[in-house]
Amino acid sequence: MRFRGWIPLVLLAALIVAVSAYTAVRQDAFLTEYNLNNLLLATMPLALVAIGQTNALLVGGFDVSVAALITMCVVTASFTLKPDETTFSLFLGALAIVGVGFATGIFNATLIRVLRLPSIIATLGTLSILEGASLLLRASPQGEINSNVIDALNTSIGFMPVAFIGVVLFVVLADVWLYRTRTGMAVRAVGLDETSARRLGMSTGLVIFLAFVVCSVMASIAGFYSAAQVQIGSPIIGDYALTSIAAAVLGGASLAGGRGSFVGTLLAALFLSLINNVLPLFQQPAEYAQMTIGVLILLALVLYQAPELVGRLRTSWGGVGRLQTNDGEAPTG
Amino acid sequence: MSSPGPETPVVLSLRGVSKAFGAVQAVRDVNFDCRGGEIHALVGENGSGKSTLLGMASGFLVPDDGEIEIDGRRRRRGSPAEARQLGLGIAYQTTSHILDLSIAENLYLAAPGKERPTYTRMAGWAASMLEEFGVDLPVGPRVGALSLAQRQFLEVVKALLARPKVLLLDEPTTALGPQEVQQLHALVHERSRAGVGIVYVSHRLPEVLQIADRITVLRDGVKQGTFEAAGMSEDALVAHMIGRPLQQAFPKREGEGRGPEVMLDVAELRGDRFGPVDLKVEKGEILGIAGAEGNGQERFLRALAGVERTSSGRVSCDGVELNTKSPLGTLRQGVVLLSGDRMQESLFPVLSVRANTTIQVLRRLGPFGFLSRRRERRTVNEMASRLRIRMASVEQPVQSLSGGNQQKVSLTRPFLRGDVKLILADEPTQGVDVGARFDIYEALRAKANEGVALIVKSSDPLELAGLCDRVIVMSRGVIVDEIAGNELGEQRIVEAIVGGRAAKVQA
Repeated sequence: MRFRGWIPLVLLAALIVAVSAYTAVRQDAFLTEYNLNNLLLATMPLALVAIGQTNALLVGGFDVSVAALITMCVVTASFTLKPDETTFSLFLGALAIVGVGFATGIFNATLIRVLRLPSIIATLGTLSILEGASLLLRASPQGEINSNVIDALNTSIGFMPVAFIGVVLFVVLADVWLYRTRTGMAVRAVGLDETSARRLGMSTGLVIFLAFVVCSVMASIAGFYSAAQVQIGSPIIGDYALTSIAAAVLGGASLAGGRGSFVGTLLAALFLSLINNVLPLFQQPAEYAQMTIGVLILLALVLYQAPELVGRLRTSWGGVGRLQTNDGEAPTG
Repeated sequence: MSSPGPETPVVLSLRGVSKAFGAVQAVRDVNFDCRGGEIHALVGENGSGKSTLLGMASGFLVPDDGEIEIDGRRRRRGSPAEARQLGLGIAYQTTSHILDLSIAENLYLAAPGKERPTYTRMAGWAASMLEEFGVDLPVGPRVGALSLAQRQFLEVVKALLARPKVLLLDEPTTALGPQEVQQLHALVHERSRAGVGIVYVSHRLPEVLQIADRITVLRDGVKQGTFEAAGMSEDALVAHMIGRPLQQAFPKREGEGRGPEVMLDVAELRGDRFGPVDLKVEKGEILGIAGAEGNGQERFLRALAGVERTSSGRVSCDGVELNTKSPLGTLRQGVVLLSGDRMQESLFPVLSVRANTTIQVLRRLGPFGFLSRRRERRTVNEMASRLRIRMASVEQPVQSLSGGNQQKVSLTRPFLRGDVKLILADEPTQGVDVGARFDIYEALRAKANEGVALIVKSSDPLELAGLCDRVIVMSRGVIVDEIAGNELGEQRIVEAIVGGRAAKVQA
């Protein structure tokens, strides 16, 4: 990863430390085992769906259907993960939820790769279908979810949820794969320039197809943790579509494809949850959290693009000539 | 070198291949073969089927009919990966680089499994590959930061990584200056001596005659024959390409509009990487600018159009100080730039021929700001027949026209504007086929005969020698030579370019 790839990671880590330190000094309730555990558990759904979204962004697409898919998975859980079921039927029920994600992924990927619809349009359609289906199954929040399953998902060592450790390991390995192996490089190449990648003999269609399947499967796993939070078959789950894109972009992903970091996405998800966690501690209304996040996203995007911006300004200063390079790095020679 | 005899094995063979796109038969029943160690050129006008033939050979396109063998083995599926595995390497004209990745990473992605080292040894390996093929580049920078010429060399190295039996080069020299062409040819010769069969696609006939052992000519998707290069001349090749002998490659210099008055007067002009430049161009004169790529010619030309910034100096056009602060300023004073990057800077690719033609003169085409579609069509049709634009209808999107017809569409603009004083043409015939070139030369000369001054920047010395009244040679941003009258010839221009770096600046 080049220097510019590190900017989001360093920035997010610094922000997380700064906000945490400030809050810890001012509010005793922050550094409690209970609050930290809650914070990390609340991060789980967003982190998982944003990791999925990063895959879609890496190949130059979007998946806005993830929000409805998570809702669908929660609703499905209220049928397949009922209280007092046997362990075996709970296992099948869990498989069913992942199956919903897998099927949605295949559906999206087919629309995008086989029928060649723009990803934003295709997943917007899927979003609407899944939303309708969820409301059909549960018109209002009902259907309790098995508490043993919830406890298992929330298993923690001290304040640290076991699942969060798993996610941390996953994103580190995923970034090593993305930036230190040929297949990871190939995936980025597909996102950066599909024609060239195909000319180099890569199966660009397969890469893009798989990226969307993985995105949906990750969203369905996020559905488990969302279900663990609401604990009931609710057809109204928060808006994970835009937040997941926001987290991926804050983490360094480019909307044009080919750039992104799984570690960055996790840090960004953690940071967004942190904002939502600390504002109530200061007795600030939740609306401020939303506005703060909006401002931060804009600031982050401007900052990440700073090298390109500088290059562009320099060029327009020198007349309206063509851009010499794609970003701000000076041409050699 | 002696060309390899018929006993050398055939490394690429296309038997009776055909390919149609919709109603258009792009390639019809073509046989083509290339032997190991041979340089086999493939020539033809744009749209003659060269690219389609290359696409089929490289596995990018699946032929409707016919057989393809690479290194004696028959190709089954149509995929670039299979063709590469069988021993075919291809360097694309538009390159296959991922601009955002480094040179080392691009090489790594292009290398086949058995040639590829572990990831940690990538940089050292990439450097050794570049050294082996004699290309002097660092491995660290992004490919996007390289010049077009450097990217072209990298593209060739990428094609060679898999140790191909046959190497396809698609217009490899379009981005190269004369010296770089020689460098590339040296690399090509070296590979062919090592037994690699080379298929060399180019529209630059002098180059083809210089490097090829055999030449195959395509016209309208049909093979016109395969010839030994030794017995061929440029005229004969052109005759095969266009199906008739080319009467006269360049329009006559009649000097009708040529007046003693100076149209353009440049004094001590300096800008980014060029200058100081002093230059006078007379009314009705076509002035050529020659030089190796990147010696300030393009920047100087664009500075005159107000597209590139100048730092000091004066420019006057027809006796009036020229406002070179913005493109609009120069345009208002009658300066038209025909950009070398037509699709990006001159044309609106998805719009029709009609819209692209009339966009600068809409005010004249109807009352009260409403367009008269009838008047618009009539104007466009007149221009189309005058400049011989070949199109299905005036509503055809410009991006679907051939390069030559695209250039003609951008040429309609100075014709429609009544107030043009100076035309700045940057590579006016780049990507333009032989037949259409003459039309463009003729159109430029017609403007000159009306008294307009023209400056043509071109990397083709033959074109400059044939078209221009006078040619200046630039090196490192300044004029180092001026050629006119009987002296003006291709040989003399090439000598000036090659020797230009050492030559002293003339007063």
